[in-house]
Amino acid sequence: MKEWIFTTDHKRVGISYLVGSMAAFAVAGTMALLIRMEQFNPGPGITDNPHTYNTWLYFHGAAMILAFLIPGLTGFAANYFLPLMIGAPDVAFPRVNSFSVMLFWLAIVLALLNFVIPDPADIMWTGYPPYSVMTEGNTAWYVFVVHMMGFSSILGAINFLTTVIYMRAPGMGWNQLNVFVWGTVTAFVMQLIFIPALAAAVTLLLFDKYLGTHFFDPAAGGDVLLYQNIFWFYSHPAVYVILLPALGILFEIVATMSKNPVFNYKACIYGGFWGTTLLAGEVWIHHLYVSGMPDWLRIGMMVSTILISIPVGLMTISLWGTLYRGAITFNTGMMYASGALFFLLLGGLTGIPNAMTVVDLHIGETSFVHSHFHYVMAMLATFALIGGVYYWFPKMTGKYANEGIGKLGFWLNFIGVNVTMFPLMLIGPLGMPRRYYDYPMVPELAPMHHLATYGSLIVLLGMAITLINWITSAIAGEKAPLNPWGSKSLEWTHTDSPPGPGNFKGGTPVITEDWTPYNYGK
Amino acid sequence: MATHSESHAEHPHFHAPSHWEWSTAPTLIVLGIFFSIPLAFAGHFVYHNSLMTSVFAGLGVPVLLWGISQWVSEGINSPESHHHGLSKVGLPIFIVSEVWIFIGLFSAYWALRLMAAQWPPDGTPHIGTNLPIIMTILLVSSSATIHVAEEKLEEGDVGGMKTWLILTLLLGTVFLGCTLTEYSKLIGEGFVPSTNAYSTAFFSITGFHASHVLVGLVTFLCVLIPALSGKTNKTFLACASVYWHFVDIVWFFVVSQIYFW
Repeated sequence: MKEWIFTTDHKRVGISYLVGSMAAFAVAGTMALLIRMEQFNPGPGITDNPHTYNTWLYFHGAAMILAFLIPGLTGFAANYFLPLMIGAPDVAFPRVNSFSVMLFWLAIVLALLNFVIPDPADIMWTGYPPYSVMTEGNTAWYVFVVHMMGFSSILGAINFLTTVIYMRAPGMGWNQLNVFVWGTVTAFVMQLIFIPALAAAVTLLLFDKYLGTHFFDPAAGGDVLLYQNIFWFYSHPAVYVILLPALGILFEIVATMSKNPVFNYKACIYGGFWGTTLLAGEVWIHHLYVSGMPDWLRIGMMVSTILISIPVGLMTISLWGTLYRGAITFNTGMMYASGALFFLLLGGLTGIPNAMTVVDLHIGETSFVHSHFHYVMAMLATFALIGGVYYWFPKMTGKYANEGIGKLGFWLNFIGVNVTMFPLMLIGPLGMPRRYYDYPMVPELAPMHHLATYGSLIVLLGMAITLINWITSAIAGEKAPLNPWGSKSLEWTHTDSPPGPGNFKGGTPVITEDWTPYNYGK
Repeated sequence: MATHSESHAEHPHFHAPSHWEWSTAPTLIVLGIFFSIPLAFAGHFVYHNSLMTSVFAGLGVPVLLWGISQWVSEGINSPESHHHGLSKVGLPIFIVSEVWIFIGLFSAYWALRLMAAQWPPDGTPHIGTNLPIIMTILLVSSSATIHVAEEKLEEGDVGGMKTWLILTLLLGTVFLGCTLTEYSKLIGEGFVPSTNAYSTAFFSITGFHASHVLVGLVTFLCVLIPALSGKTNKTFLACASVYWHFVDIVWFFVVSQIYFW
C-alpha cells in the first residue's frame, strides 16, 4: 500500500491523478445536475436560497477545470504515457512528481471542505471582486485551492519540460515525438508562464479581503478591473492548457485507429501547437468586452482572438487529414475521439461570433457562451480523456475494456451532452442569461430547460456505466495482447502491460533516423 | 538528428529503478504546508479562532520541518548514479515561473500608480532611502559570498564552504532584520497595508520579496546542516546559489520601483 500512496513512480502517480480527478469529476458533475434541476423551471426549485446555488456554480466550475480537466490531462495522461512515449525510465524528478500529486490531493480535500464549513465559497471559479472581497463566503478557501493546484502544475511543468528536453531515448529527434508529447510540452510551457499570474491575482484578492489592502478597491485608489485582467491573462491560456493535451490524445487515437501517419506533422506541431501557445497570452481582453475596455484594446484583441483560428485550423486539418483514406477501426476509444472531433467543429465555429466584439457584447453574458465553452473545452476534453482511457486501457491494466458496454456508455454520453448543451446554445440569443439563479424575465424558455435537464440525466447514466465498465474490466476483463491496436508508438511496442519499474526491461530503446511513432505502411 | 544523438551521449545512463520506489518526504512536506498555511491562515483571518490557528500551525510546522529534513537526507544520501545535474535545468525553469509572479505583482503596482491622481497618495509618511541602500549592499555582498562558498566546494574545501555559507546566512538574516525594523517604524507612524494604494503595493511587494529571502535562507540551512557532518552535494549548493542570485536581482527592481521612483 505504501508503494502506492507514497509512490514516486510516474505510472502510479498517473493512476493517483486519474483516481483523484475522476472523484472530482463525480462531485463537480453532481453540482452540474443540481444546477440543471434548479434551472428546470423559473422560480425557486430544489433550493430557495440563491446563495446555495452560487456555491454549486463555484464548485462545478472550479473543480471541473482545476481538479478534473487539468489534472486529468497534464497529471494522469502526461504522467503515465509521456515518459513511455519518449523512452525514459521515469520523469526527471520523481520525488517532485510525488509532491505534485500530493498537492493535488490535498487541494481536493480543501475544496471538499467547502461543503462542511459554515461559510462556503460562493464566488464562481472566477472570483471577481468586489463580490469576492465583500462576500461572507470563505474566499480564502478558493485562493488556497488555486495556490495548491497551481503550485502542483508549476512543479509538473518543471518536471516534464526537463524530462522531454533531457531524457528522450538516444537518437530521438524533435520531429519524432508523439503529438501528445508536444501537446503536453506546450501546455506546460503555458502553465509555467501563466499560472503565476493567476496566483498573483488570487493572492491580491486574499490580501484585499483579509489584510485590508486596496488593490481592487476603487474608493482607495485601486482598480476593480485589474483583477479581471490578471485573472484572464492566465485563465484564457488555461483553455489551451486543456485543449492542447486533449488534441494530443485525439491524435494518438486517430493515427493508431486509422493506421495513418499524422497528416502535416510539422505544420501541426510548429504552426498549430506552438502557434496557439504563442497567441495564448494576447487574447484575454475578449473576456472583458462587456466589462469595459478602451476600443483600441478591444479591437486589437479581437484580431488576435480571430487569429487563433489559424493554429486551431492547422490542428483540425491534421486530425481530419490523418483519418483520410485510413483503415479506421471504430472501437470505443475511436468513437470518443470522433465525438470529440464533432465538438471541436461545433465549439470552434461558435467561437468565431464570440470573438467579434459587436456580436459578443450582446451574446457574451448569455447561455450561448456557456454552451460554446462547454462544447469546445469541457466536452471535447472530457471525451478525449475518456477516449484516452479506453485507448490505453490495455496498457494500464493488461486487459480489454468491455466494448459493448463501452459503446453503450459512449452513445448515452454523446446524446446526453448534446441534448443538454444544444438547447442552451439556442436560448442564449433569445435572452437566457448565464450564471443566473432564476429567469423570471424569460419564462417561455422553460421547455428548453426541461430538455437540457433531461439531457444531463442521460449523461449521469452514461458516465455511471463508463465508470463501472472501467472498474469491472480492470478486475475481470478479457486479457489483451501487448499491442492490441498495432500501434508503432514506444509505449505499445517496447513495454509490458502494465509496465514495471523502470519501464523498459530490455533497456532504453535506441531510435533510428527513419523511425516515427506513426510510421504505418512502412 | 545527429546533434540529438550527441547530446544524449553526455547523459547515457539515467537511473532506471528495478523496484517500485517510494518516499514519504513529499507527502510530509505537503501535509505540513496544508496545515501551516491554508488551515492556520483560515483559523486566524477567517474564523478568528486562536486555538484553531495554534493547533494547525503546531501540527503543520513540525511536520513540514520533518518532511524537509527527510527530503534533504534522502537526496544527499542517495547513490551518485541518481544525480544527473538535471536540477540545474529544473531550477531555472522554476525561476521563469517566479519571474512571472513578480511581473504580475509589479503590473498591479504600476496600474495603481499610473492611474492615481497624485503619488504618493495622502497618508504616506516619508520613507527613507538610506535603509534600502544598506539592504542592497547586504544582499549584493551575500550573492558574492555564496559564490565564494560554491568555489570553495568546487575546490573540495568543505571547511571554507561552511565559513562562507554561514557568512551568507548572516547577511541574509540581517537583511530580514532590516525589513522588520522598517516595517515596525512605518507601522508605528500609521502606515499599514490598509492605509492607501501605496501602502498596499509597498507591503505586498516588499513582503513577497522578503518571503523569498526567507526561503533562500531555509535552503542554505538545508545545505549547511548536512555539511556540518561532512555531507555535501555540489548540485544542491549550485541550485541554492542560483535561487539566491535571482532573489538578489528581484531586489533591484523592488528598490528602484518602490523606494526610488
